[in-house]
Amino acid sequence: MLLRIAWRNIGRNKKRSGIIIGAVTLGLAAGIFLMAFYSGMIEQRVRLAIQNETSHLQVHHPDFRKDYDIKYYLVNGPASQKQIQSQVEVKQAAGRIIIPGMIASPSGSSGITINAVQPEKENAITGLQQKVRAGSYFNPQKENSILISEKLIKKLKLGIGKKTILTFQDSSGNMMAMAYRITGVFKTSNTPFDENNVFVNISDIDSLAGLHHQYNEIAILLHSGSSLKVVQTKLKSLFPEYEILNWQELAPEIALTVSVGEQMVLIFMGIILLALAFGIINTMLMAILERTREIGMLLALGMNRLRIFQMVLWETVLLVLAGCPFGIGIALAAIGITHQTGIRFKKFSEVYASFGYNDVIFPELNLRQFLIIMILVILTAVLSSLFPAWRALRLKPAVAMRK
Amino acid sequence: MKNNNTVIDAHNLVRVYDEKTVPIYALNRVHLHIERGEFTAIKGPSGSGKTTLLNMLGGLDSPTEGFVEINGTNITKLKGNKLIDFRLNNIGFVFQSYNLVPVLTARENVEFIMLLQKRPTSEIKKRVNELLQQVGLSEKAGKRPSELSGGQQQRIAVARALAPKPQFILADEPTANLDSVSAGNLLDIMAKLNKEENMTFIFSTHDQRVIDRARRVITLEDGKIVADTAPASTEHTHYETS
Repeated sequence: MLLRIAWRNIGRNKKRSGIIIGAVTLGLAAGIFLMAFYSGMIEQRVRLAIQNETSHLQVHHPDFRKDYDIKYYLVNGPASQKQIQSQVEVKQAAGRIIIPGMIASPSGSSGITINAVQPEKENAITGLQQKVRAGSYFNPQKENSILISEKLIKKLKLGIGKKTILTFQDSSGNMMAMAYRITGVFKTSNTPFDENNVFVNISDIDSLAGLHHQYNEIAILLHSGSSLKVVQTKLKSLFPEYEILNWQELAPEIALTVSVGEQMVLIFMGIILLALAFGIINTMLMAILERTREIGMLLALGMNRLRIFQMVLWETVLLVLAGCPFGIGIALAAIGITHQTGIRFKKFSEVYASFGYNDVIFPELNLRQFLIIMILVILTAVLSSLFPAWRALRLKPAVAMRK
Repeated sequence: MKNNNTVIDAHNLVRVYDEKTVPIYALNRVHLHIERGEFTAIKGPSGSGKTTLLNMLGGLDSPTEGFVEINGTNITKLKGNKLIDFRLNNIGFVFQSYNLVPVLTARENVEFIMLLQKRPTSEIKKRVNELLQQVGLSEKAGKRPSELSGGQQQRIAVARALAPKPQFILADEPTANLDSVSAGNLLDIMAKLNKEENMTFIFSTHDQRVIDRARRVITLEDGKIVADTAPASTEHTHYETS
């Protein structure tokens, strides 16, 4: 009966209830869509980081990452790679030699990281071939070819077919230099990465670097990110002599972005809900004021204070919940459409790329985030009802009925 | 003088408003004894303390001095939900401006009190049907208060007051907003309930039609009982003023 009274009370002042329901609809739609937008953005950043930079897991010599000295390579790298590849959760494992070095052209030089890769396996992990915008990917018939980025080619005033010199230290600490011919120009959605990385075929550099058929990094792509921890644990027990890190450990700044991004959305959602709460409190106080006499009568007849409290609480929660289907509907429709089409920020593509983001965002929302929002909305309704309910509870029947 | 038939025993009731500035005595040492089955009107000019007295008897307000016993329970000592629950189970109220819950139908307004008492559904249904029949509004059961006339609303209010099977019904100027036909009908219903079910009614009123039908008339002036025309059958009822 309390629920029935509360629900019907919402219809007593249609205009006022309509305004609150409208506010809940707008607030919720904006909040959910914003959360989906940020979620899509963060998800994309993580996906790109895994794809371009870290993979799901990486295997190194325990000392390699201290100063990226190539003398710390993986003993029995190829055998380890084979064993890793045989794990059912592993989609692809690729061996790499990572060498800090310099790239030089007649017009300048630049500090870079030389990524010596297994072309086919690397492509299976990072999709490097698709990122080649001009020229071609590695060709087994062409030795000493190099892929460099659009940014770097402009900076060094180079072009496809031109030669460039890579200088680096080999595993014994000797300075080595080698000329490579530019066969392809790549572009990822991460400008800093593009400026600092070049790719060569591992077979063109391993002997020169002093690592004959060995690697100092094995990158691993999994079929599903959900098996990350399981595979990491399994590999740690298989290769106790190696350091095996997941993407969150390899790029803690991205893990931080995920957590900060979620917190920011929650803060934003909190601001929306706070504004909504004031509207709800105001509306319910007006309702209590208008119904002072009626509440006095209910108290007089024998409705105890707990029931009065429940009635106000139900009314507030129902008022808020009445707006939820519209808000959720609008948000889900908007997310559904934009998830297909994407939201393009063409004007800001350079800015986005400088932070490692694509300029097209595909909003997405998972069940967990949706439930968080719903819990926050209901919590807002409950908290907003407390003050009006308290005011109602303070009424004395004899005084209230004289109003 | 208390006996087994005593429903209300009010002792030395004083109610002072604005105690700290200029004290106003709304009730001034009122003693009142009501027995089961009485049909009593409390009359007096505006400001004489009728509503204040009714509020005291109904546990809606606390006296500054004195106390009220209902069926041997000192309700002046009851606080909060205990007092509310006592009212729910022992006292029926009929108000001047009907005071039905506007969002509930006539049937729901009557049901509602019994639901608060947590009575079984079958009992509620049966009693509500009986009560609506008694007040002659069975066919209006599904109507909301706004769809009923003033007289019909007040009859629903009487049915609601009777629903919890109270010890007595307090009616604060129940006919004040009714035309003479509706007021007559309402009084007929109340008189019938009093006669057939021995239900105790206590009215505060200005309305001569009510006063004429009452078997006992108490007159209040300036917070004091100045007359109590108790019939012979209830002559043990007493009043005192100071």
